[in-house]
Amino acid sequence: MRATIAIMQRELLSMFCTPIGYVVIAGFLLILGVLVILTEGFEPGQPATLRNAFGLMPFILAFVVPAIAMRTLSEEYRNGTIEGMMTAPISDAQLVLGKFLGSAAFYAVMLATSLIYPILMQVYGSPDWGAVFSTYVGLMLIGLFFLAVSIFTSSFSSNQIIAWITASVLLASFAVGGFLLVRHVGGFWRQLIQRANVMGRFEEAALGLFTTGSLVCFGALAGLFLFLTIKVVESRRWR
Amino acid sequence: MIEVRNLCKHYGARKAVDDISFTVNDGEIVGFLGPNGAGKTTTIRILTCYHPATSGSARVAGFDVLSQSMQVRRNVGYLPETVPLYPEMRVREFLRFRGKLRGLSRADRESCIARVVERCWLREVVDRPISQLSKGYRQRVGLADALLHNPRVLILDEPTVGLDPTQIRETRSLIRELTRDHTVILSSHILPEVEATCGRIVIINRGRLVASGTPQELRSRRGDGAVHAEVRAPVEEALSAVRELANGAKVTAEAADGWTRLRVESTSDLREPIFRLSTQRGWTLRELRRDAGSLEDFFVRIVADAQLQAQQ
Repeated sequence: MRATIAIMQRELLSMFCTPIGYVVIAGFLLILGVLVILTEGFEPGQPATLRNAFGLMPFILAFVVPAIAMRTLSEEYRNGTIEGMMTAPISDAQLVLGKFLGSAAFYAVMLATSLIYPILMQVYGSPDWGAVFSTYVGLMLIGLFFLAVSIFTSSFSSNQIIAWITASVLLASFAVGGFLLVRHVGGFWRQLIQRANVMGRFEEAALGLFTTGSLVCFGALAGLFLFLTIKVVESRRWR
Repeated sequence: MIEVRNLCKHYGARKAVDDISFTVNDGEIVGFLGPNGAGKTTTIRILTCYHPATSGSARVAGFDVLSQSMQVRRNVGYLPETVPLYPEMRVREFLRFRGKLRGLSRADRESCIARVVERCWLREVVDRPISQLSKGYRQRVGLADALLHNPRVLILDEPTVGLDPTQIRETRSLIRELTRDHTVILSSHILPEVEATCGRIVIINRGRLVASGTPQELRSRRGDGAVHAEVRAPVEEALSAVRELANGAKVTAEAADGWTRLRVESTSDLREPIFRLSTQRGWTLRELRRDAGSLEDFFVRIVADAQLQAQQ
């Protein structure tokens, strides 16, 4: 446990000790700012929401989240520090979990910077704080799942760019794919896609509807990818 | 302390380590010697639980590297060939992090860090970021990390590669000091280094163990030491007298401006008998010297022999 926390702390600290953390946050805020300007027209009499901009958030996250997690394992491979990790008395699961928690902590910090928009709304209007809260819970959950996928792609390659692009493509197609595929399939597959549709789940949350189904869905998906990551890291020993 | 039995490691069809067996006793310092690509790092990585062997077994500090991996890792301090450091961290931060990974409590951690900082001469750089450190300092930080939890076994892969001569000397003396409390394996492709620090040498080449023993043993096995003497004596007389002493070893003599140069090819030390002989006979003795035969020649020959065998 101590080791997992140590890895998490180191991961979080190194995001802020190197430019990468600041670049990711700046990029995130820039894209979000542009989206808010383009999609939201705040007019008197209209409800004070950011539903349009925040509804597109999963697409931003599909590119931003992999940038957070791309270095987690790739950099360890590239610098050879993985050798120090794998010969320390910690399990591969502890290593992966520590990396995941560290990235999740950074993600939470990054997400917190976007709270400036609800706060601005509070200054000029009266937003629905219940919906804001459930939107953020939804964003946190979707982020954890995206992080797990990104760490998974990071475990394959010592090249961060490859890890980033692979994860972005996977996540973007995951976010869009649900909509596109669901029209072309039927029966069991249709049901499966509807249930696992990340965007649908997120839209629910953005409306203030927060269900256990979403929690289980995101939790299970994140768990699955973390498990796969542990297996990939383990398998490197045998090569 | 370390017991390696019939260890093999294959990468696809290539045998990186091929049936190696050796043991290292408590408090010993053993040098792992071989040309680049001989299988040193692969063997070391098996011993440190970085990757498993294809077949064979290894026990370190009484634990099996495969089935009791965690216990082995807790008892081993390992300095890999490329020192695994996080450039963005400060030295103290890094050592604290490694201490936490090894489950040291806060109080233990600080006292352990103070100890290794002292031991590895890191006091001036302990609050500097690792990215700013020179190669020599980085190597020492890696060594400090390996020593941090006071392990029973230390495994050092090429500990002096890339250091300047002063640093090499310092590192060697540090390693020698460490044997008081630790069992040490170090690998190198540089022979004088192993000769200077190790009590025992294991030479491997192409994944196979080709020789092992103390530096003296290996030298005497080489069998081509020689004693040179230069006396003022008639060539024939000197030759026959020395032949008697030499016990069948090959003796050559040549005359040069009134002196006789003698060369006795023998591993035993004939200097004293030759000195006595010359005083007995009243010869003037101008030079008397012994070539022990360098280990370097031995190493080069062993490697060449193995190469030859492989070609056949």
